[in-house]
Amino acid sequence: MATAAVPLPWSVIAQAVHEGHVSARRGDGTISWLSAAEAADIEAVASQIVPTDDSPGAREAGVVYFIDRALASFFSRLAADYRAQLAAFQAACRERHPSAGSFAALPSEGQIEYLKEIDQTPFFATTRLLTLLGMFSLPVYGGNRNGVGWKLLGFEDAHVFGVPFGYYDRGYPGFVIDPVSLK
Amino acid sequence: MARELSQRGLTVVVLEQGPRLSLASFTHDELKEWYLGGITNDAVENPQTFRDDEGKQAEVQTLKPALWYGRAVGGASLHYTANYWRFHEIDFIERSVLGAIAGTGFADWPITYADLEPYYTKVEWEVGVSGLAGASPFDPPRTKPYPMAPLPVKSSGVLFERGARKLGLHPVPAPMAINSQPYRGRMACVHCGFCHGFACEVGAKASTLTTVIPEAEATGRCEVRPESYVVRIQTNNEKRATGVAYFDRDRRERFQRARAVVVCANGAETPRLLLMSANPRSPHGLANSSGLVGKYLMFNYSGRASGVFEHELNEYKSVQVTRILHDFYDSDPKRGHYGGGGLDARIGPQPATWAIRTAADGPSWGSAFKARLREFTRTMQVASHSTSLALESNNVTLDPVVKDAWGLPAIRVTYKDHPDDLETVRFLQDRGADILDAAGALRVTQTPVAAQRSSVHLLGTCRMGNDPATSVIDRYHRSHEVPNLFLCDGSSLVTSGRGQPTMTIQALAFRAGEHIARFARRGEI
Repeated sequence: MATAAVPLPWSVIAQAVHEGHVSARRGDGTISWLSAAEAADIEAVASQIVPTDDSPGAREAGVVYFIDRALASFFSRLAADYRAQLAAFQAACRERHPSAGSFAALPSEGQIEYLKEIDQTPFFATTRLLTLLGMFSLPVYGGNRNGVGWKLLGFEDAHVFGVPFGYYDRGYPGFVIDPVSLK
Repeated sequence: MARELSQRGLTVVVLEQGPRLSLASFTHDELKEWYLGGITNDAVENPQTFRDDEGKQAEVQTLKPALWYGRAVGGASLHYTANYWRFHEIDFIERSVLGAIAGTGFADWPITYADLEPYYTKVEWEVGVSGLAGASPFDPPRTKPYPMAPLPVKSSGVLFERGARKLGLHPVPAPMAINSQPYRGRMACVHCGFCHGFACEVGAKASTLTTVIPEAEATGRCEVRPESYVVRIQTNNEKRATGVAYFDRDRRERFQRARAVVVCANGAETPRLLLMSANPRSPHGLANSSGLVGKYLMFNYSGRASGVFEHELNEYKSVQVTRILHDFYDSDPKRGHYGGGGLDARIGPQPATWAIRTAADGPSWGSAFKARLREFTRTMQVASHSTSLALESNNVTLDPVVKDAWGLPAIRVTYKDHPDDLETVRFLQDRGADILDAAGALRVTQTPVAAQRSSVHLLGTCRMGNDPATSVIDRYHRSHEVPNLFLCDGSSLVTSGRGQPTMTIQALAFRAGEHIARFARRGEI
């Protein structure tokens, strides 16, 4: 069932964040808004966007839980359109690969091949957007579990930094107005 | 504005759409601040529609509004990057110097750089800007140095400086409205890295919330009333403003009487309010006999070249920008198109948005994309900031169908960059790529240049001018039509400058405040 996008004021969003925080603390991995089949396919697509190799990818970051919560609460405005796009994606994939039954059931190579054909569609664009927001937003929203997204980037979430910030500003001698270059 | 008026003895009520937030409530929460309207307008309660052609049906923007602005006490100065470039002398007289450009509203300002110079200095000293006077050979004349030394250079600044100097260019420390030392009761920057799109949690970035607004309130004559959403300027039969109607936080309509109304609601909301204030005496909107209220919307354009280096830069730390250059500021007929701009060294957005946008300059998913994500700490951008020509077909109007959460007409944005503006970006991006190459980047990529569909620079929609037929306000920000109605914000700008408009908007506000108080003293309001 498609749910209509209901405008949400910030107070409701804050509540959703609060609930997200609570369930993240519990380590709760329940999917509440998406169906099991929807969640499986979204997670499979997300895992091709940021794959798992020698380091965690979208799957380990819990991106699908972020997406589930997002569509049910703070991104409910995207939910109806997205669910329709997902249904079309699933139907087209079944038609193409009737024996597999679903995108998630395809072998990885088959998934990659299929995504190459559809990576310019609105469905893929929205899944990519939600995957990356889930990968790199604060863990309280349900994704970026244990900060695996930030670890991938090398990003450190801190409130105070000092010089040197990186390799190239070490030992900087100070700015000098270059007399040679002045016209 | 409120400070200038209240310090000169006038009683001021400031009505702000959004809430009044405390520094303690400001976060590093990218999802909230960038996508859920934590400190800005958002796509749910404040929907907007967009189209790139007046012949098309405008579409509701579901993820983010096309015109994005601070919606809390402090406005855009909460979430801006705080690049404080003065406009140059040429920005005010460019039409006379270069001649007309067919099909555009390219015009001179009714004031010059010399008129505004004292107020630029006032901004630097009273708001607080870090920088190095005399460093750039292209800077316009100034009467005082900066009050604070530049912020510490980042790796991007060092590389930018190295590459640009190899090419014979003139990189200089970036002027930023961020404290490099404690200043006027506010602390120095702690380099947390969350400036762009975030409000500063220590108050080191100069927001009006922490600078001039408390000073206005300290006079005892200024009351700031947050969550007060002005919906209509009331006028009488003599076409004088009598006050404003507004929704309070409980969405009850109230009225605030006023001797004069000063609208500083930004280049999107100011024209919207005038259009919503249409009445039988002014059927096309208040102060709109020129028909130009909402027209000539200008965005500037921020183009990006991105470079990956061998070692870590960690650009996510500290302020966005520590080095800039203005070698390409002026328009040059040899380039074959109008326009110019500046370049700076920066990271761009923070992690999620960086991944969504910047990392997409190559493969946008899969193993190759993941490899690109791993280059986050070794990547920097050279951003370009450039001119937008004034076009009547780029504008803010009231959407005929879509309403906001208060039942008021949504903003409808129509915008398409002029071809010269896009050519300018291509030219500047190539220069940025040259600098990255010269600095020794392992790989350089460019973001494709395409017509913009959103902006945080909301300029030109109630332009200033001497002729009531071709402008909305006069050189003192008084509307040509309603003598006690003044407009002062990004909407007042006649040309776009080269990006970084906030400092000019603040200089205009300091100047306008002084004049409005003078008019009031003389009984000329």
